[in-house]
Amino acid sequence: MENSVSNDAASAENKPQRASKVVFSGQGGEFFGIWIVNLLLSIVTLGIYSAWATVRTRQYFYGHTQIEKQPFRYLASPIQILKGRIIAIVIFALFFAISYLSPVMAVVLAILFMFVSPWLVVQSLKFNLRMTSYRNVRFAFHGDYLGAFKYFILLPILSVFTLYLALPWALKKIDHYICSNTSFGGKKMQVTTDTSSYYIAALVAAAIVFGVMTVVAIIGVVLGILMAVTDSGNASAAALMTSVAVFVAYFFAFTLSGAIYHCMIRNHLFERTELPGIAKFKSKMEVLPFLMLTLTNLVAIVLTLGLAYPWAKVRKARYLASVTSLIIYPQIDTLVDEQQSENSAFGEEAAGLFDVDVSIA
Amino acid sequence: MNTVANVTGQYQHAGSSTLYAAVAVINDQQQLQICCQQSGDVLSESAAADYRYGTIIPGLPVELRLRDGAVFLPDDAHFRWPSQARSSGWAARLESHKLSIVAAVLLSPLLLWWIIFDLMPIMASAAVPLVPDSVKQQMGKQTFYTLQKTTLKPTELSASAQATVHYHWQMALQKLPLTNKNYQLHLYKSDFFGANAFALPDGTVVMTDDLVILLQNNPDAILAVLLHEMGHVEGQHSVRMVAQSLGATLVIGILFGSPDGVADLLLGSGTALLQNAFSRDMEREADNFSLTQLQVLGKSPKAFADAMSALLEASSADASTSNQLLKYLSTHPDTAERIKLATDLQQ
Repeated sequence: MENSVSNDAASAENKPQRASKVVFSGQGGEFFGIWIVNLLLSIVTLGIYSAWATVRTRQYFYGHTQIEKQPFRYLASPIQILKGRIIAIVIFALFFAISYLSPVMAVVLAILFMFVSPWLVVQSLKFNLRMTSYRNVRFAFHGDYLGAFKYFILLPILSVFTLYLALPWALKKIDHYICSNTSFGGKKMQVTTDTSSYYIAALVAAAIVFGVMTVVAIIGVVLGILMAVTDSGNASAAALMTSVAVFVAYFFAFTLSGAIYHCMIRNHLFERTELPGIAKFKSKMEVLPFLMLTLTNLVAIVLTLGLAYPWAKVRKARYLASVTSLIIYPQIDTLVDEQQSENSAFGEEAAGLFDVDVSIA
Repeated sequence: MNTVANVTGQYQHAGSSTLYAAVAVINDQQQLQICCQQSGDVLSESAAADYRYGTIIPGLPVELRLRDGAVFLPDDAHFRWPSQARSSGWAARLESHKLSIVAAVLLSPLLLWWIIFDLMPIMASAAVPLVPDSVKQQMGKQTFYTLQKTTLKPTELSASAQATVHYHWQMALQKLPLTNKNYQLHLYKSDFFGANAFALPDGTVVMTDDLVILLQNNPDAILAVLLHEMGHVEGQHSVRMVAQSLGATLVIGILFGSPDGVADLLLGSGTALLQNAFSRDMEREADNFSLTQLQVLGKSPKAFADAMSALLEASSADASTSNQLLKYLSTHPDTAERIKLATDLQQ
């Protein structure tokens, strides 16, 4: 056993803090078998088995994500996932059908959904965090409807009226809301993110999109002039090529700027988040490796008609783990979650109708 | 039942992060005893009803969950509890067996294809009669109202041009055995639709001024277009389209749904392509309806080919889109293909 094993609580208090990395040990080949067999079983059972497939997949990824050789655990039962999925499908089908029935109703439903969605988000976060455990201690989410409505709906809508100038601030507030309401073993995370970091990330991302588009436009104009001068190529082929090129350029610009924003924000968020007395986080994402990972994953998935999906998913999980590290304090060895130890672990009696994650996927 | 001797692993009390290096033993009564490796103290004793085996996942150890919330995790990821019911390992066996993996690779795409392109259209068609008439009326009315408010303007056609269209419309209504009883023809001027015609599920058919002008020298071609739109109403295509799109969206969402951006992009375009495929099938059905009914009315299928040729000429930009690749991006079958179908019938 590793040296973290200890039944001597008193001496643990005196040990110094220790650095640790997140390790992902899943294998692409192994997960491929899990994925494809679960896909077939889901198809054959007309989607019912997909709840079991979801749970098995999460158990695989959680179980292979380890800190100090201790795995995360995913605790939800397939029946809970199935219930949430059925509720989500019924709601979605109703929305879908009614919005086709009448455009007026579609608008009414969209507004209604705007008010329901924060509840769904909170419900989902609560469920998924409660079903996540590390070293037999669970995570939890403490946000409520009003907070979610304010940060997920109100602020983004208001930021539209500032010509999106307030959007980075709104995004910071959203991240802050989610992280500061997350707890581990009853201890809430502390988040001290900067508004300025979000603005810098947003500016860089916007500048990249603008830059790539400008370059593409210039190349397009030059090629156009060249073709006009040499009088080569027909108009329709040129039109087709232009639309394909513009699509590829758009896609590349947004993937690149998305990668940059994601790297900068994740690094900042991890740097400024801690579980007081338990752990501090560190993320060292770099743009180029992450961009290459995203693009090669995409190409592999397209070229194999989707068969490379499990390999791509494992690769991404391994990369994200490899750039994540922690400083761990000795208190982690002696945590006791009082509330958690009172309930039966089998949970048959607790599960109510809405103790679910209302989600199709 | 099997006994299990001395499995090394780690033990944690309920809600506690403290780790104990421990040894688990299960006796012939299926009673579980977990002892601390260092001190030898008994950490936990459970009857068969008070502990459960975790899920068997390839490559991961199988934990024991105790009723009070404590957990025992074996050190060896490949260790499987001999005392665990063999039936609980079937999924893991399939997931790691070469034969079942190969079978899944072959069968999954085939079955998916069959479900989306055969099973769902059948189910959609079966579901259509279950939709009450009043719902179709509402669908038609509401959509028509919205279009009137947004994209349709009063017709500017001469009285005689209008009369020609209405004459052919009435003739078709009287001579053909149609199931829908609420057919209504409207003429509108519309910059948004250009030369076009469309049908709503309640039997409302709209033809634009531009299309009537385009075909004014060939009234039979106008009739062919009207019959095509009636084909949409008779086939209840609007309702079927809703049912099929919903079905396809759900199937893809359930099977592949993931919050991953890249996968979303691919699946999103996949769903759009599917909808276009459904749409093309229904256009073909409406084309066939038009061609058949033209013959019933004693007209030549050439009238349909004429209408298509006129539309093709009118939008010469469309001519270049008769491209094999773009076929999949289109909501309508290739126009040349549609003309060929009509002229084939004529011979």
